[in-house]
Amino acid sequence: MNFSFSEDQILLRNSVRAALDEECKPAHVRAMAEDPRGYGEAFWGEMAKLGWLGLPLPEEQGGAGLGLVELALVLEEMGRAAYPGPYFASVVLAGLGLGLAGSAAQKEKWLPAIASGRARGTAALLEDSLDWDPAATTATARPSGAGWTLDGVKRFVPWAHVADVALVPARSPEGLSLFLVDPRAAGVTLTPMVGIDLSNRWSEMRLAGVAVPAEALMGPAGGAGRALEALLQRAAVAAAAEMLGAARRCLDMSVGYVKVREQFGQLIGSFQAIRHRCAEMLLEVENSHAAVYYAAWALTAGAEDAAMAASVCKSYVSEAARTVCGDAIQVHGGIGFTWEYDLHLYFKRAKALEPLYGDAAYHRELIVRGQVVHAHT
Amino acid sequence: MDLTYTAEDVAFRKQVRTWLEQNMPRQIRTLEERKAWHRRLYEGGYLGMGWPREYGGQGARPMEQAIVADEMARAGAPAPTNGLGLGIVGPTIVVHGTEAQKRRYLKKILTAEEMWCQLYSEPNAGSDLAALRTAAVDKGDHFQINGQKIWTSAGALADWGLLLARTDPAVAKHKGISCFLIDMRQPGVDVRPLKQITGSSEFCEVFMTNARVEKANLIGRLGEGWGIAQTTLGYERGGRALARITTYASQYNQLVAAARRLRRNGRPILDDAVTRQKLGRIWADLEVERYGALRVLTALERGEHPGAGGSLTKLSYSEFEKRFMELAEEILGPYGQLTDGVPPEYRLDVDTAIGDQGTWAYAFLWSRAGTIYAGSSEIQKNVIGERILGLPKETRADRVGGTR
Repeated sequence: MNFSFSEDQILLRNSVRAALDEECKPAHVRAMAEDPRGYGEAFWGEMAKLGWLGLPLPEEQGGAGLGLVELALVLEEMGRAAYPGPYFASVVLAGLGLGLAGSAAQKEKWLPAIASGRARGTAALLEDSLDWDPAATTATARPSGAGWTLDGVKRFVPWAHVADVALVPARSPEGLSLFLVDPRAAGVTLTPMVGIDLSNRWSEMRLAGVAVPAEALMGPAGGAGRALEALLQRAAVAAAAEMLGAARRCLDMSVGYVKVREQFGQLIGSFQAIRHRCAEMLLEVENSHAAVYYAAWALTAGAEDAAMAASVCKSYVSEAARTVCGDAIQVHGGIGFTWEYDLHLYFKRAKALEPLYGDAAYHRELIVRGQVVHAHT
Repeated sequence: MDLTYTAEDVAFRKQVRTWLEQNMPRQIRTLEERKAWHRRLYEGGYLGMGWPREYGGQGARPMEQAIVADEMARAGAPAPTNGLGLGIVGPTIVVHGTEAQKRRYLKKILTAEEMWCQLYSEPNAGSDLAALRTAAVDKGDHFQINGQKIWTSAGALADWGLLLARTDPAVAKHKGISCFLIDMRQPGVDVRPLKQITGSSEFCEVFMTNARVEKANLIGRLGEGWGIAQTTLGYERGGRALARITTYASQYNQLVAAARRLRRNGRPILDDAVTRQKLGRIWADLEVERYGALRVLTALERGEHPGAGGSLTKLSYSEFEKRFMELAEEILGPYGQLTDGVPPEYRLDVDTAIGDQGTWAYAFLWSRAGTIYAGSSEIQKNVIGERILGLPKETRADRVGGTR
């Protein structure tokens, strides 16, 4: 039993933090919000060299073969920096998704490209209804010649505008299936969906008679449900790791602020109303830390309670990050409501992730469903 | 990071489980029966586990202590008696006591030959414990004690008490306090039970009038009492960290079973979406408490003292317990308020925090205590703010001068 980071893990976190402190200052986040592609290619190349882009991918495909704990460490730092770019989309959604559902040939084609930064990927997991249950998929895949024809509308597809490949669930005659789709293929229309989070990009992805070859199918036709569930669990924990980072940044900024801000002739951090709020924020951050790293470990180790831990993690952290980042604005007062002050970058990053990969309500229902079937011992 | 138990820990857990199966009494009705169970636990090597061997302890690791407590919770085993002796007084003597004090007192705590209480809080010194007024006056060969204590757990059973009293009213209030061991079986000590909102009397009021404490029973040096009291509050050392969660989980499962029977709007409450959301949230909170306990145990195993971090743990679980019990009451309705005549389906089959009353009503009422005892949630937040986050101290009227 050891719930602490190894020396290597601490070194990894420190190096990621140092690089982001240097390359991803708030000014960079703001600049990228105005950039057509939304992220810096130079730093992307740097991340490839540092091994971040292949971190959880197999060594045979150019990855580092590390687990979700290490991935969560990197993502927490990215949340803390509100890193703008397709890291989550490419490494978590496409990288882990290919690992879970891809054939040997598909992995060989895409994983080295993702690990080296040559290609970026994403996954189109949401539709109009916002139901995260993969079984709710309505997009269709019709057999057509040797391949398939895809139709449907996907929403909130992260970083699709810079992606070379997207994992797209669609219903084929056999059932729920998963396909690799080129977002620039004929019949695919991408429309930006601009949210409040300046560090994120979403697209609506409209598929109208999109022809894909037979080798675009991932796994057996009709057999995508399990892989999608597994991907959703990993994405939920990964998103929670970013939210944890954003929440920690908001807490740190708040604590720093209340130590220097004076009202009524005193530092406001000396007032119990403020101090108690900060203490509650710390408690939520520390509990979130435990939830994220427990779940990351459980999924990597294949622990019996891994699925439960993922739902515990996302449901807990979704609300904890909401509370902490919101309280940070409150503690700051007026300055926290200004565009110029950086707090909103992190507040919005956490907010954007709150409903994604299952919101708290979705995961709580999964928890109870799991329990009724499988009583805790 | 590896959250699996080692082979040694798994084997130890199995050993404890087997021992409990063979030795656990079916029922405990009297104090004598509980003392007998206490002694059997001690002889089995499961009490005072973290204490040094030369004083009757086992020199066990924190994880082993946590496993024993956890297995006892899992089996619904009755608690040993002398809880304050085991949890607070013994560790205080181990750390701060003289060799003579260790030889004199420790073993008899473990065998329950001598029962202990803790004399800290006073009517006007609760959260502001350092404002305590009970006086200890040096009479040459002994100290003379006058004053009143309250919230004294198990005071009516105690042979001895760990006492905080003021020895120097002239200095700043935190600096004039000393720590003593006091004989409770003397004419100057009057113990009166205090009935709580649970209807039971686990606590007492203690009145001391010209009571006597021998010079040899001063713990630490004069004026060091406040520092000693600060450390004793952290002595639980994660020992019950896992056991607490196991008890919650057992209660939760019984709540789910009740929610399956009970109906609202023509269907089982367990099928109600709102209730499911609330149950899901509580389970997530409960699991997060468990993960936190594993974090605390990791630190203890590495020999790190949780320090102010213990305030985060205490704040988290005590506030959780209130939320959990409020949900139980919501689901159980009036069944949750029954203290007698409870149908078997709605009884609570676990050893509750302090007594054996197996009702939800008792557990619910008792949940109100957790955010008050051993430093209220508000005090914990002050500690977290000042000692972990480094926030400025508030302006306080009592920062300067003596006691009054």
